[in-house]
Amino acid sequence: MTNYVIETKSLTKTYEGIVPVYAVRGADVTIEDNEFTAIIGPSGSGKTTLLNMIGGLDRPTSGSVKVNGHELTGKTDSELIDFRLKHIGFVFQSYNLIPVLTAKENTEFIMLLQKIPKAQRDARVEQLLGEVGLADKMDKRPTELSGGQQQRVAVARALASKPDFVLADEPTANLDSASASNLLDIMARLNKEEGITFIFSTHDQRVIDRARRVITLEDGVVVRDERR
Amino acid sequence: MLLKIAWRNIWRNRTRSIVVITAIAIGLLAGVFASAFMQGMMRQKIESVIKLEMSDFQFHRPQFTDEFLTSLYIPNADQIMVEVEQEPTVAGTSGRLISMGMVGSARRSGAIRIMGIDPAKEALVTGLNEKVVDGTWFEGASRNPLVISRKVAEKYGVDLKSKLVLTVQDLDGEIIAGAFRVVGIFDTGNGMFDEMNIYVRQDDLRALMRIEAGVHEIAVSLTDHDMAEPLAAKYRAAHPELEVLPWLDLATGMRYMIETMDVYLYFIVGIILVALLFSILNTMLMAVLERVREIGVLMAVGMAKRKVFGMILFETVMLTMIGGPLGLLLSWGMVSYFGQVGIDLGGAYNDLGFASIVYPYLDIRSYFEVAIMVAVMAVIAAVYPARKALKLIPVEAIRTQ
Ligand SMILES: Nc1ncnc2c1ncn2[C@@H]1O[C@H](COP(=O)(O)OP(=O)(O)OP(=O)(O)O)[C@@H](O)[C@H]1O
Ligand SMILES: [Mg+2]
Repeated sequence: MTNYVIETKSLTKTYEGIVPVYAVRGADVTIEDNEFTAIIGPSGSGKTTLLNMIGGLDRPTSGSVKVNGHELTGKTDSELIDFRLKHIGFVFQSYNLIPVLTAKENTEFIMLLQKIPKAQRDARVEQLLGEVGLADKMDKRPTELSGGQQQRVAVARALASKPDFVLADEPTANLDSASASNLLDIMARLNKEEGITFIFSTHDQRVIDRARRVITLEDGVVVRDERR
Repeated sequence: MLLKIAWRNIWRNRTRSIVVITAIAIGLLAGVFASAFMQGMMRQKIESVIKLEMSDFQFHRPQFTDEFLTSLYIPNADQIMVEVEQEPTVAGTSGRLISMGMVGSARRSGAIRIMGIDPAKEALVTGLNEKVVDGTWFEGASRNPLVISRKVAEKYGVDLKSKLVLTVQDLDGEIIAGAFRVVGIFDTGNGMFDEMNIYVRQDDLRALMRIEAGVHEIAVSLTDHDMAEPLAAKYRAAHPELEVLPWLDLATGMRYMIETMDVYLYFIVGIILVALLFSILNTMLMAVLERVREIGVLMAVGMAKRKVFGMILFETVMLTMIGGPLGLLLSWGMVSYFGQVGIDLGGAYNDLGFASIVYPYLDIRSYFEVAIMVAVMAVIAAVYPARKALKLIPVEAIRTQ
């Protein structure tokens, strides 16, 4: 039996309302270590909802999510926060960073929450910001960085905790194509050289082209899952 | 790092933070200064009550202070004074013959309290000799000398060397009059006191009243006012036939006034703090609502709730901890300054027995208590916004832009 990094079973999210919205319906998704997966689909197809449930940010209406064998459903809010800190790296669409902290401090922050000693933190921050090509921007605050640079800091921060995988919901949506391509380069290299597992959602065809696996959602249902 | 974030967050909206900090500082200044003013006024009043009016404690025959009967004198007064003077904190004792009599000049006459005293001993208790502004405190030998206040002098249209006729009741109830000459004029600044009392030598009054030995009142002044109550209690036990009362019980309403004063400080500062509490709460609530997304991201990436709570708490407490000490420092500076220079009320409260120049004063303990009240207020103000932050649901917070 394969050990999946992520394994969902009949994952379903329904928003109750006058007309119930079936945001995700019976999704069975398995992600293996070291994969580089894009979740695609039209707007409203459930990409964000699916990623949020996988990341322990949102609770499914039914079905289950396992991360490295840990069942997420049934954990309390506080347990989920702690789980996210230790197992999952997040990159959001925009405004990921704490505005009052520098690039270095934003990256270091996650390790601080994990109580990693200072010497180790310093070394790792330097290494990570180097890997995303921002060694010279360590002491800049987010407002002094371009959108692309901010997203690269967000990637560095996501990696700081040595997560099982990194979730990125439309990480390039607010970037120009050069920055988007640059961000993808960095992610792809980290995936290849350091074996980091990435799952990201996107609309952008050029980003889709870079993925090694593409899962397509339509109306909350997984309609295609191709590896290449 | 939490502290660093909290600190930097304060300066994100610089104007808003400075407004709140200033409000805290000025609010405290107002409260503390008003309290110090009242406390200073009260302290001067107490000082004056003790020094001039009541001493630290006094001996009387029971009922004397109600009826002022000539016959209610303490025969063994000299022996009691010798006894009391053995106490280590006693600064002086003064035996007084007292007559509720009449004073008359060519112009008019009226009721007055005539005090027959030993000038040297009285000086040790009331220090009245230092308040003499014209003439002397019974110095130089003259017959039937009299020392009166400036107020009385004006009222009766007399001056130094003028003659006044004093009328008293002797032991047998006979009305006896004697002529006295003004040798000194005093001014204590306490209008009520000055208007009521005139001083003659004890022996002169003794002759008029025909009391061979003993006095109506023994006033004792101490170097430590806190000893007044215990010492009074001790002598009350030793002389059950006498009424021995400390100043707090001698001056009507004094005990109540002093207790009210303490409450007053808490009350005034309390009201100001409640007002500040709401302004801080409002500011922090705005700060939280502005940062919904940011806090959502923090929780999403794994910041524990209690740390989010702590971050907001730190921020609020820091805000207060800049304004609070600033306010206390300003207050301290202002109270110290005016405590030296004084604030001139222009005699408005003179006739109520309050001094015309008030020296604001606040004891260290009160500053300390205000500081604690501010700290408690800061934490209370922080709780609601911090809870608000906790209630954020990360998925929703992140969706907001
Ligand atoms: N809190 C919510 N309450 C009700 N309906 C919701 C809520 N969140 C999402 N939905 C609905 O769920 C469906 C899936 O939304 P989701 O955000 O997952 O789509 P998406 O694929 O990420 O879209 P996009 O490409 O625009 O980001 C949509 O129809 C959306 O309107
Ligand atoms: Mg989405």
